[in-house]
Amino acid sequence: MKRSPLVFLLLLAASPVGAAIPAEQEGCLDCHGGSLDDFTLASGEKLPLNVDKDVFAKSVHGETLGCTKCHPGKTNDHATGEIAFKTRREVTRAYYEQCKGCHFSNYEKTLDGVHFAVAAKGNDKAAVCVDCHGSHDISRPGQPRTRISKMCSGCHANEAAVYAKSVHGRASETSSDVPVCTDCHRAHDTVDPKGGALALRTPEICGRCHTDEKLMSRYGLSTKVVDTYLSDFHGMAATLSKGKQKGPGVRLAAVCTDCHGVHDIQRADDPSSPVLAANLQKTCAKCHAGATASFPKAWLSHYEPTPQKAPLVWAVQLFYKLLIPFMVGGLVLQIALHLWRVVVNR
Amino acid sequence: MSGSSSGSYVVRFNLHQRVEHFITMVVFALLCLTGLPQKFYTHGWAQGLVHVFGGVDATRWIHRVCGLILAFSTVIHFGGAIAGMLSRKMGFTMVPSKKDFEDAIQQLRYYLGATDKHPQYDRYTYKEKFEYWGLVFGNVIMVITGFALFFPVQAASLLPGQIIPAAKVAHSNEGLMAFLVITVWHIFNAHLNPDVFPFDTSMFTGKVSRERYEHEHPLELARLEGRVPAEHGGAPAVHGKREVG
Repeated sequence: MKRSPLVFLLLLAASPVGAAIPAEQEGCLDCHGGSLDDFTLASGEKLPLNVDKDVFAKSVHGETLGCTKCHPGKTNDHATGEIAFKTRREVTRAYYEQCKGCHFSNYEKTLDGVHFAVAAKGNDKAAVCVDCHGSHDISRPGQPRTRISKMCSGCHANEAAVYAKSVHGRASETSSDVPVCTDCHRAHDTVDPKGGALALRTPEICGRCHTDEKLMSRYGLSTKVVDTYLSDFHGMAATLSKGKQKGPGVRLAAVCTDCHGVHDIQRADDPSSPVLAANLQKTCAKCHAGATASFPKAWLSHYEPTPQKAPLVWAVQLFYKLLIPFMVGGLVLQIALHLWRVVVNR
Repeated sequence: MSGSSSGSYVVRFNLHQRVEHFITMVVFALLCLTGLPQKFYTHGWAQGLVHVFGGVDATRWIHRVCGLILAFSTVIHFGGAIAGMLSRKMGFTMVPSKKDFEDAIQQLRYYLGATDKHPQYDRYTYKEKFEYWGLVFGNVIMVITGFALFFPVQAASLLPGQIIPAAKVAHSNEGLMAFLVITVWHIFNAHLNPDVFPFDTSMFTGKVSRERYEHEHPLELARLEGRVPAEHGGAPAVHGKREVG
């Protein structure tokens, strides 16, 4: 008989928690199970020395890891009463190295991330594994999904507050259709948003959802937004700017976020949206100084040129679609006739 | 009339015309090399070419500077031509006439074998006039639309905003057409045409042999030499091999 997952869960719940967890077998919890006082570090910070057995048992590692897996020096005979770390941050940063023993590929990704780069420059506040995942209470990442954005808000409170009010942020509480922080910024190899590399990737990042027919049909949104962007001037310039670094005096071609906003994206018909027709002149003028009221019409608003939407553009396009083959074909034909006569004469 | 006949060769193009052609050639090539990658920007070769020019910004600046040179040289060319024609130093040899249409029809009939009478050309053949006026009209379109794309804010303050994407479509297609016409038509006529293969040097040296001129521009040669042209001049060298009878 095949055991259903429900039966399995019931059995798991019925078993006395921690009865057989590896952490207990090492005897660490005899001391660290609740009987030790906090240790006062050189910085004056209190370092708790106790671990809540039940919390650890419920964590993803509870069933599999013993204490010494992450605290290898702390065997039963370890020295007591002395801790060389001066601050709690030093403790965290020292133990985060242990994660890579099992999670090497994710650790490796963090080496390309902005948090690692910031830490390498000497900022010890930059997030390490346990800052996002927790330590003794680690649970499966992204369950529930909204936890991700809450995690980031621990350090990035301003951005998180802006995001929470955006069209994506508002929906994220109840829907998994919308992006949370890591969908755009990635989790381990988080890109530095200041360099321009992330900006130049936005057509692809936004396009992952906004070209998805099934997803967009739920909201009545067009899936042509990326193609129409790429076929326009900005999309061409952005495509040819790959690898370009933003800097003083170096501006990149406008990408999705330059017009729609970043964390504060709203529906295009929201009165506060920078791409609402009434606000567009101001949005264009961010780059095109002195843009007049007629200037936003230079942009076809993600529409393909049709006789209704942009008759002039459509007509010019049609004219050349006919003229080029006619012109080139005619010339090639005349050349062919010329050569034919040369052959005939010989 | 700028041609002059002296012994075994005819000076078809004076120094001014040769320099003008040379500048147009270099600038046109650079415009194609910096413009086509912007049209076909999704292709690997286009991105490689932009990289060679030092990135998209450098590519665009080279394109704009070349465009300005071409615009400037077009204005100078027309200034010179109008002044020349008004002062009667220059003939109306480039102006299309009824004869050009007759020549074109006769030339096609000749190619098709409907006649053995090859058209008798004056200074410029209908093919040369076609290419010249194509370049002129093309230049005007490219310069106007190019300026609209160079200064979109100013252009949109004078005209409806839709003029900008329309100018982009026109600029990009007219540019592609110019490139195709030059690569197909000009390269054939100046290089691959059996009469001149592999390279018609006249636009660089200015000189054409009298013998070739007799075939290609008999009416002009006769005028230069002050005689009445023969009723039926020979066809160009390669064409003339046909035995009659």
